[in-house]
Amino acid sequence: MFKNWTVGRRLVAGFGVAGLTLVLIAFVSYRSITGLIENDGWVEHSNQVRLQLATLLSELKDAESGQRGYLLTGIDIYLEPYDGALRGIKGTLAEAVKLTADNPSQQRRLAALSPVIDSKLAELKETIGLRRTQGVDAALKTVLTNVGKITMDQIRALIAEADQEEVDLLKRRAEEARTSSDTARAIILWGGLLGTILVAAIGWLITASLSRQIGTAVGDVQSSSAELQASAHQQATGAKEQSTAMTEISTTITELLATSRQIAESARRVAQNAEQTAGSARAGHGTVDLTHESIAGIRRQVDQIVAHMLELGKKSQEIGSVLDIVSELAEQTNILAINATIEAAGAGESGNRFAVVADEIRKLADRVGGSAKEIRMLIDDVRSAVNTTVMATEAGSKAVDAGSRQFGEVAASFKQIAGLVSTTTEAAREIELSTKQQSTAVEQVNVAISSVAQASTEMETSAGQTSQTASQLADLSRDLLRIIQPHMMV
Amino acid sequence: MSELLRRQGFSPMAAQAAALRDAFDRSFADPARPDMALQEDFLAIRIDREAFVLRLSEIAGLHADKKVAWVPGGVPALLGIAAFRGAILPVFSLALLLGHAAKPSPRWLAIAATAPVALAFDAFEHHLRVSAETIHRREASTKDRPFVRDFMSAQQQGRPILHLPSILDALGMPRRAGGRERSDTDVQKLDGR
Repeated sequence: MFKNWTVGRRLVAGFGVAGLTLVLIAFVSYRSITGLIENDGWVEHSNQVRLQLATLLSELKDAESGQRGYLLTGIDIYLEPYDGALRGIKGTLAEAVKLTADNPSQQRRLAALSPVIDSKLAELKETIGLRRTQGVDAALKTVLTNVGKITMDQIRALIAEADQEEVDLLKRRAEEARTSSDTARAIILWGGLLGTILVAAIGWLITASLSRQIGTAVGDVQSSSAELQASAHQQATGAKEQSTAMTEISTTITELLATSRQIAESARRVAQNAEQTAGSARAGHGTVDLTHESIAGIRRQVDQIVAHMLELGKKSQEIGSVLDIVSELAEQTNILAINATIEAAGAGESGNRFAVVADEIRKLADRVGGSAKEIRMLIDDVRSAVNTTVMATEAGSKAVDAGSRQFGEVAASFKQIAGLVSTTTEAAREIELSTKQQSTAVEQVNVAISSVAQASTEMETSAGQTSQTASQLADLSRDLLRIIQPHMMV
Repeated sequence: MSELLRRQGFSPMAAQAAALRDAFDRSFADPARPDMALQEDFLAIRIDREAFVLRLSEIAGLHADKKVAWVPGGVPALLGIAAFRGAILPVFSLALLLGHAAKPSPRWLAIAATAPVALAFDAFEHHLRVSAETIHRREASTKDRPFVRDFMSAQQQGRPILHLPSILDALGMPRRAGGRERSDTDVQKLDGR
């Protein structure tokens, strides 16, 4: 536990114990001296009480001496001691009562003394009055009653008791003073000796522990100062490299700043071009919408063409059906004409004219049949053309559909392009703003880098100073170690 | 005429119809042509893609799309019987008689003038009226073509002329008198002999 104490705590504890011992010795000495002083006060008090008692007895004796002189001479001048005693007795008794206020036995004794003194003074006053008024005999007669002597003897006895008590008190207090002074002397002597030994032991313990621990700490300080010196050297080297790197970084950041400004200018141009492109895209979108409407109109026209062509094909088919009937009629007419020719041939000469008619009808039927075939071919051509036209129109319709879809896609693409260009514009503006902010930030970084470079230079200087301080610290630690543990020095 | 009408603004079909009408009307206005007796009428037919002609003088009628009722028995060339103006006549296939493959139902029927029989063939093309110079005559038919004697060259192609009496003889059909079959005198007249 003691090993873990700090130096201050150990010093406080050691000096505390020593101080406590000294305080104890001082307290006991103080108590002893205070007791001696108090005892001395009480001794003085007892002497004053004895003095008052002696004064009271002396004043009573003066009063009695004055009474006796007047009784013998009858001259008033002999009453002067009497008069002087009368003026002081009451005060002296009151002072004695006051001084013995803490002593009940003395109070009782003085309380008993007061009527006796009054009786004595009354006897003195009566005898003096009798001498003055009735002469010596009357006065002697009263004196010879021995009342005055008895009273005076009681007074002497009471004052003697009181004085004896005070003497006893003085003796006891003298004994107490001697005991107290012996105790104080012993405490001062043995306490001083014990305190000296205790302080010496504490000093030895503190010195031993501190020299051991401070020696260890100084060793640590030495190694730490060496490490600090090496670290300061490395720090100085690092700071120098850092300063060089900061200079290079500052140069690079300057180039970066120029590049950022170029980027900001380029972004501004991009934003401008993007705005123009957005305007063109919007115009193109409007054109595409108009074209899309035109294509829709073409689509409707093509649908009508297809419908008309299909109707034409249908009509051609109907014509073909009618033509089939015509062809069949022509064929039947041809058959009838041939049969008529056969019949006319069988009719002989009378059938010649009929044969001519039949022959003409047959020719007509032949030509009608031929015409019907031609018409059939024409109709087939028409239907083929209609089919081709329908197919071409359907292909055109599909192409128009594809074109419409493509235009729709183109319109969507234009819309998307417009949106993308708008986004690009915003992005370019944001890039411009960000690049400006970046330029500002890069300028701030450049300033900061300059500050860091300056700090690196200062750090290099500081590292040199640190190294020097570490060297001085190592020297100091060696000196300190030499002071506290000279035997450990090599 | 049709070209003139076409130039006058008529459509080709209208111009052709007008030309037909005009030719029909003009035929009745023209006088009878004296060379009619030197010409002979034929029916151009086609049997299994082979072109033949029939003398119009050897047939009594031409019909199409007649219903032929099949009857059991008889020669293989007999297709059945058909009704012609109240008469029931047997119908024979010319294709089978000529050795061609049989078709299911030939459309055209020609009634022989000298016998109560109808001959069926695939297609009737048109009527031909040719002069006697275009007919090459022979006395007898060859073995590979037993029913063909004469040939006709018209419209830049030659066509064999089916000899209907030989076919009727081959069928064993009795020829009746009073037919319009051309006699040798008529032939000599046509030949200018």
